[in-house]
Amino acid sequence: MGSEKKEIPMPWKITPRFTWKERYSGYLLLIPALAIISLFTVYPLLDGLRMAFTDRSLLLPSYEYVGLDNFAQLPSDEVFRLSLSRSIILTTTVVVLQFILGLILAWAMQQRLPGMGFFKSIIMASWVIPVAATVYMFRFMAQPDVGLINIVLRLLGLQHLTRYWFGDPNAALPFIMLLHLWRNVPFYGVAFLAAMQAIPRSYYEAAEIDGAGGWSKFRHITLPGIRNMIIVMVTIHVLWTFNNFDFIYLSTGGGPVNRTDVLPVYVYRLSWESYRLGYAASVGAVMVVILLIYFVIYLRIHERPGAAK
Amino acid sequence: MSISSARIRTAILAYLIVAISLIFFILPMLWIFYTSFRTQASIFTGAVISPLREYTLENFATVLLVTDFPTYFRNSLQIAIIVTLLSLFCSIIAAYGLSRFDIKYRNALIVGIFSTQMFPQVLLIIPMFLILFSLNLIDKVLGVVLAQMILVLPFQVWMLKGYFDNLPIELDEAARIDGCSIPRRLISVILPVALPGIMVAAFYSFVVSWGDYLIVSIVTQTQRTATLTLVTQRLGASLLVRWGQVAAACTLTIIPTIILFSFVQNRLVEGLTAGAVSGE
Repeated sequence: MGSEKKEIPMPWKITPRFTWKERYSGYLLLIPALAIISLFTVYPLLDGLRMAFTDRSLLLPSYEYVGLDNFAQLPSDEVFRLSLSRSIILTTTVVVLQFILGLILAWAMQQRLPGMGFFKSIIMASWVIPVAATVYMFRFMAQPDVGLINIVLRLLGLQHLTRYWFGDPNAALPFIMLLHLWRNVPFYGVAFLAAMQAIPRSYYEAAEIDGAGGWSKFRHITLPGIRNMIIVMVTIHVLWTFNNFDFIYLSTGGGPVNRTDVLPVYVYRLSWESYRLGYAASVGAVMVVILLIYFVIYLRIHERPGAAK
Repeated sequence: MSISSARIRTAILAYLIVAISLIFFILPMLWIFYTSFRTQASIFTGAVISPLREYTLENFATVLLVTDFPTYFRNSLQIAIIVTLLSLFCSIIAAYGLSRFDIKYRNALIVGIFSTQMFPQVLLIIPMFLILFSLNLIDKVLGVVLAQMILVLPFQVWMLKGYFDNLPIELDEAARIDGCSIPRRLISVILPVALPGIMVAAFYSFVVSWGDYLIVSIVTQTQRTATLTLVTQRLGASLLVRWGQVAAACTLTIIPTIILFSFVQNRLVEGLTAGAVSGE
């Protein structure tokens, strides 16, 4: 999306002779996609925001508008407060680590070494498998007696560290972060690599003639060169991580004792386990507001001039 | 320090990163495959390697013959295929429209379509459930399919639009001047050239639908529309977890995605990020 703000050379400016029939067809082509998006995204969004001002329940057909009552309850709802801060901590930590580790992985893959082609071709496998399978894979590995992690820890003589990793109040959240890294770091790596390979070699050669070292080349050529890819990857993953529901719901359900609750899981539990649709929608509305704030900041950063090319 | 020793250091460091990555990213998958061939007893010894007689195909036999796994597998496959075809149709024509036609508020539309992904699905699904309920689509394949469209469609349109932008306009402009209709231009000119991008788009929607838990957990009420992610969750939620069977179910769920992945892996990232680099 990074490039939408710039003026893209439009093909039809070169050949502007469209008949009326053609113009009309352009809109026709958009109808199916826009119809589905409107009915199943735009309308539900508006209706969800409206619901945040009601006491709607899944069990009763009738409901009333309660003004800001739901929102007034939020500050005193401890689970909400914890989920909110944890959502932000989780998203920030995960995206920063993914970014750094992705860069390191891309650097390694950029080296022309035997076997690297094969490595590049399999490394994204973790990204394509279903999250439910990932979660059960890690739940099995985290088992206290039979899990691989604890088997290895015992072999290393670290008995005292063995535990059910998803069940330990202090270890559960870091372990969930690990799952996010497991799934997405290879995607970052491969994407950054693709962007790095598009940087002309002559830039590096010129820098070498000027006596630039490895860090300086990275700082002044590589990073600006992959800037657009960084923006896209970070943006997509901030949204995906913040809204992510199934990792935590399937691994801990928010436990132990709410230690891994995040906003999406809380909204899900409120709506489908407590049937409090109105209150759930108000928590969802808070999520929308946070994402809008992020979106505004994102646009600001993106409009900042001086993107070296 | 000579150049060649710097090179060797670089190579060692790179291989070290590769080795750690293989252990971290690939080993867990191999471990679950491996576990699916072990008996419950052998898993519970806590040993990494067990005597040969403790390897078995029983887990797969149980999952395939005793449980309803085949039904769920068929449901998953059916839903994922319909989602893929329907979303491809909608996104290809929409992306073509956005890429080639003079459409008012075009950029706002693209940003709008892309930003629909930003909204929390856990919120959208509440009204969506009520819509599907009033359309009598709860627990119907069509209901699951339509709901899953929102997971894939915006991203697909954005990505394919970027992909089409990178194809030279001369291609279909020539066909237009020759009097080809829009469907003809799309099918016989654009599709063959854009096939790699379209394959990635198809792969994306198949994998997202195949792995979806959120929507299925709400829209599905009975076996009629239950998919593999649900059965994996149920196998793993029982009191005494039969890890061998969970591993077999996971393996059978993973394998189709890995097979499809092997067809697109070279193009995957290029395709996924086409929307990001278009017009530059």
